[in-house]
Amino acid sequence: MQLTYLEAIRQGIWEEMDRDPSVFCLGEDIGIYGGAFKVTDGFIDRFGPERVIDTPIAESAIVGAAFGASLTGMRPVAEFQFMDFIGCAFNQISNMVAKTHYLWGAPAPLVLRGPSGGYVHGGPFHSQNPEMWFVHNPGLKVICPATPYDAKGLIKAAIRDNNPCIFFEHKYLYRRIKGEVPAEDYVVPIGKANLVREGSDVSIITYAAMVHTALEAAEVLKNDGIDLEILDLRTVSPLDREAIAQTVKKTNKVIILHEHSRTGGLAGEIAAIINEEAFDDLDGPIVRIAGLDSAVPFSPPQEEHYLPKVEDVVREARKLKAY
Amino acid sequence: MERLHLSQSPTLAIPLAIALSARFHMGNKQAKSKHNSNGSRRRDGSARSNAQPSATESLRTYSIPDLRQEHPDLSVRQTIEKGKDGVEHVRYEVTGNLNAPVPPISDSKYLTKQQCIEIYRYMLLNRKMETALENLYKQGKVVGGVYFGLGQEACSCASAYALDKDDWFAPMIRNQGSLLVRGFRASDTMMQYMAKADSPTRGRDGTSHFGDIEKRNMVSPISMLGDLIPVLSGVALGARLQGRNVAVMTYIGDGGQSTGVTYEGINFAAVQNLGLVLFVESNLWAYSTPSEMQYRCKDLAERAIGYGIPGVIIDGTDACQVYDAARDAVERAHRGEGPTMIEAKMMRMKGHAIHDAAAYVPKPMFDFWKKRDPIARFENYLVKEKKWLTTKENAELISEVEQVIEAEREIAVNSPMPTPESAEGGVFCEDGCHDIKPKYGMPKVKKRSGGFKETEAAVHLK
Repeated sequence: MQLTYLEAIRQGIWEEMDRDPSVFCLGEDIGIYGGAFKVTDGFIDRFGPERVIDTPIAESAIVGAAFGASLTGMRPVAEFQFMDFIGCAFNQISNMVAKTHYLWGAPAPLVLRGPSGGYVHGGPFHSQNPEMWFVHNPGLKVICPATPYDAKGLIKAAIRDNNPCIFFEHKYLYRRIKGEVPAEDYVVPIGKANLVREGSDVSIITYAAMVHTALEAAEVLKNDGIDLEILDLRTVSPLDREAIAQTVKKTNKVIILHEHSRTGGLAGEIAAIINEEAFDDLDGPIVRIAGLDSAVPFSPPQEEHYLPKVEDVVREARKLKAY
Repeated sequence: MERLHLSQSPTLAIPLAIALSARFHMGNKQAKSKHNSNGSRRRDGSARSNAQPSATESLRTYSIPDLRQEHPDLSVRQTIEKGKDGVEHVRYEVTGNLNAPVPPISDSKYLTKQQCIEIYRYMLLNRKMETALENLYKQGKVVGGVYFGLGQEACSCASAYALDKDDWFAPMIRNQGSLLVRGFRASDTMMQYMAKADSPTRGRDGTSHFGDIEKRNMVSPISMLGDLIPVLSGVALGARLQGRNVAVMTYIGDGGQSTGVTYEGINFAAVQNLGLVLFVESNLWAYSTPSEMQYRCKDLAERAIGYGIPGVIIDGTDACQVYDAARDAVERAHRGEGPTMIEAKMMRMKGHAIHDAAAYVPKPMFDFWKKRDPIARFENYLVKEKKWLTTKENAELISEVEQVIEAEREIAVNSPMPTPESAEGGVFCEDGCHDIKPKYGMPKVKKRSGGFKETEAAVHLK
């Protein structure tokens, strides 16, 4: 069936709650209101207020409580109303949740999920992509799906995973894209990238909303005779090193595209992986396309300037092809 | 979606320079009227009205029971002293009645003779383990520092003693006695301090930073203060979803309670009515900062009023008071009646850690609290007052504890150091590494009507 990205996530959590009584949801305004974006709409009626818990506005308490419940063998799914607010709970995530299994051997099967990303004029506190805060924390799995199929398969995989997973839902995609989602139960493996477009000239390594930007650019570049290959990482930690190396070995030219700021961004890490795994296969410089090194500005012309665009990909791909 | 950001670091209410130039007295407690033991004062200072309380008023609790038999009126402030060299130095000084007589131990409502002796034995184990650690440190066998619970043994041991088997706890750094009560061995903690291969974390962390979710139901602490409070609340939430009301006990100091996550955690437990038993250990010094510079209210237990939960004040050096308050709170938790805050008053009788000589603490404060040593008082109670132990039996008990600690020390010392490569692995729970299932049984869920249907598109941002 055709589902929006949001409905796919919603259905994924719903099915997991139906399947496994140890799964429950907590977060701000997720109950009767159904969440700021309606991801948990109708959940409280179906699963009851015991399993769909409206919390105080207290992100550290939400993460702490989810973590504590996970220690008793529950599988909590905690919503951040916006992923920007995950910073309020940073200590719980970084020092408590992420380090637990390594230090004292306790598994923490919890999911922290919520909307991230720009292109909706949300301003500096409702547009961020804070995944890199967590990529640098060993012990966390960081997931950023781009399609309804992957969003559903990955949220289910995250709920079933025995480790803390942070699940970034791109709010620009929520109701803008639809895709085929099978009716039967399935999961998408965490840590595996997906080659969404095969091509021969230039590889774009990207994820989340930028996958769609790359796909649009590919259509434009087709007219120039430039054949883009697009690798959707799907999970940004742990990274699929093999898939990254493979696409570089095939096209020998690579652009890394992400929405968050350039400095200290994921592209730097991927460039290092390429350096380690496929240096001899490169026929050109590794190119980064990323957000500016500033906060995400509010005003639409400024936001548009800040964020990567199809034209950026087209321009850089042409340059790299000609290199 | 604007938020108030709760400060993670305590700040001075008054810039220090101003406070000093005005010879500002930090001792807010000094100006307060005498403590009263029934806590019947009202927040607005007015007399209790005889009129029938309104519906809203009747839901409120303004009373903080105080079980103590004495109410020390000591307060600390900063002063400027001229040294022999003629240079001015800023120092802490203490005022108040430093010669108040030591009160007796309160008879417990619950504890039997045997239980009292058992708690006393744990307190001895606690102290002698820490003495052994101090010696190991002096022998160069400890990696890093040693943290002590000297003067707080009654609080650690008698609190954990009030828990039932299925209850949970998480100690702070000075609650090493709680671990002994819950069945960990002294060698576990000693090996942690020596970073040994056989330590509970296999060298990966030190001190009391370890846990056990299988048998002893302990959540490992982290060094950041207050973070255990929402975590333990979550444990209670998880258990409740599985049909069990467990008590979840953790601790926070008068310094640690300044953190924002403390507020978030207690408030969450209050709103969700979770069985949190929170010991606020008012030990007067947060590293080198006196409690007068951490908070402005008279007693931290008053904060319970703001959370809408019961609060109680006890003498943290009286094992019977600690146990009784803890047991009442644990039973409340088991009945599903929600959280309790217990403020235990005492003093940290060493520095923050072994490197810290605590020279900033006015000496008369040490003298005052040394007379209130929890072990000496309990010993006197058991041997002289109750005559539950003869002098000979007491000597035998002490000698038995010393032998246990010596044997534990041997085990710890003889454990090898971990291999360098053992730093690797275990970051993730890999397939088959843990079989995760609800600890108290799969939650029973009611199937409700209403299938999945697509949702309306009324969202915050489009």
